[in-house]
Formats: sequence, structure tokens, C-alpha cells
Amino acid sequence: MATTDDGAFWTIIAYLISGLGFWGGVGYLADRYLKTNFLTVVGMGFGMVTALYLIWVKFIKETPPTK
Amino acid sequence: MSHLLHMAQPAFVPPSSSDFFFNPAFGSSFLATKPVMLVMFSVILIAAFFTVSARKAAVVPSRLQFAGEMVYGFVRNSIGKDVIGEEYQRFVPFLFAIFTFVLTNNLFGVVPFMQFPTMSHIGFPVSITIFVYLVYHYVAIKKKGLGRYLKEMCFMPGVPKAVYVILAPVEFLTYFAVRPLTLAMRLFGNMFAGHLLLLLFTLGGEYMLKSALFVKFFAILSFGMAIGLSFFEMGIQCLQAYIFTLLAALYIAGALADEH
Repeated sequence: MATTDDGAFWTIIAYLISGLGFWGGVGYLADRYLKTNFLTVVGMGFGMVTALYLIWVKFIKETPPTK
Repeated sequence: MSHLLHMAQPAFVPPSSSDFFFNPAFGSSFLATKPVMLVMFSVILIAAFFTVSARKAAVVPSRLQFAGEMVYGFVRNSIGKDVIGEEYQRFVPFLFAIFTFVLTNNLFGVVPFMQFPTMSHIGFPVSITIFVYLVYHYVAIKKKGLGRYLKEMCFMPGVPKAVYVILAPVEFLTYFAVRPLTLAMRLFGNMFAGHLLLLLFTLGGEYMLKSALFVKFFAILSFGMAIGLSFFEMGIQCLQAYIFTLLAALYIAGALADEH
């Protein structure tokens, strides 16, 4: 149905942004603290993977029957 | 070609974000600026339209009543009932208010003489988003209690325990920061960009019309584009009002849903 598809689409976007934002932010802070310069990118990549995993669990993986 | 353009008149000034700020029509209060007046007008317009359309409600509806009921029915059934489910009825007034308000203010962007989508000023989408934000958190906390709400939000079932350390902050950020941000930004961005595009083709056409004869020909194309894009914009404006309301409904539905 169209409505749930639209909803899923924007939920996915939101997860990707927060994954990127949060772990990218953690990486940025780590960079600042450790005086390195690659952890921001690593964090962003990690955040993307996290977000994709989250999306996979939420939308693709079959959820176990609810109790 | 460029020397032709520059021969007769000063260089073309492309539209920018400064075109979105207006001087007060009278006095010096920001309350007298065009966007604020449009918002006030939209409230009057919506109230008047739905009062009139519902006043002489009949079993066989008049054309006006039919139009009013169609909008209401659309929000109630396609957005409220389909998305929220069982408890949808008490959210219908809220969703209906959002939908009509956003739609009317968006459509101001293509109405002659108004021609300004109010929602292209970030303050307006943000203030509606604040309402949505408060409502869906309030609904969830009232139904589940704060502790259970946060627990269900951050710890979804079917994931190994160690992974929660990684996932929970992302979920938390999604619910508390990214959702309202994207909700407001999407509406604002669409309206802003759309209006800028129309301005560009209109102002560009006007500029070319004043230029050399050869260039005047292209002015017709530019005005044609502006008209075509106006219709395209109208579609976007309706779609954005729909998406905004739909997502508000989805967030409420998510707040009500039992995940376990």
C-alpha cells in the first residue's frame, strides 16, 4: 500500500541520517580528542552500516511471532 | 552571446534567499509582513470554507459540502484510519488541521497576487513540527509510561544484546532529533526550492524581454517554463502537505503501537 511505503521510505532516510550523524559525531569527537584525522570517516561508515543493519532488522528480516 | 546581454542593461541578478524576506506592509512590526499576513488569511479562509461547507449539511450534499467532505474524508480514511488504526478517531481533528493548514499555505505559492508559499519560511514548518513532536511523545508516554516508551524505542526485539550499545543511540537520535528535523526541513526545502525555481524563470524571462531582439525569443521559453513549473509546483505542494500529515500520523501510530 502506498501509505506504508512512503512511511518506510522516510523512516529509512531518518535512520541513515541518525546513524551517520551519531557515529560520525562520535568519530569526530574521537578525532578531536586523539588528534587524529580519519576517525570521523570511519565513524560515518560505521554509522551507515549500523543504520543499514537497523533497517534490515526492521523491514527485511522476518520478525518473530509476537507473544 | 554574453556581450549581447550586457550591452543594454546591467547584469542579471539571480533570485536569492533575500527575495524571501519582505518589508512590513505598514508599521514596522514583523506581524505586518507578507508571510504572517498570508498565514492569518489562510486561517480565516480555512475556517470560512469549512464552516460554510458544513453549515447546511444535507443527505444529498451540495457541491461545496461535497468538496469539504472529500477533504475531510481523505484525511480521515486515507491518513487517519489506514495509518493509525483503532484509535484514529481522536487524532483526526489534529491531522485535518495540519493537512488543510499546510496545503492552503503551500498553494499560496501559485495563487496569483499571493504567489508566496508561506512554508518556505522555516519558522512555519518548525512550529507545526513542534506540535507534532509534542503530540507523539505525549501520546506514547501517556500510554506506555516514560520508561517503557524509551525501552521499546531503543531496544527492539530480535537483536543480540551486545549490539544494543551500537543501535540504541541511533534509535534514540532518530526519535528525538532526526524525525522532527526531517519533517520540518522537507517541507521547508521543497517550498523554498520550488519558489526559487519559479522566481528564476519569471525574473529571467523578464530580464530577457528587455534585452536585444534575438534574446527576446528566449523570454517566451522562460515564461513557458515558469507556467509549466507552476503546475508542477502545485503537484509538489499537494504532495508535501500529504506527506507531512502522513508522517505525523505515522509517528503517532508508532507511539501507540505495542511492539512486544
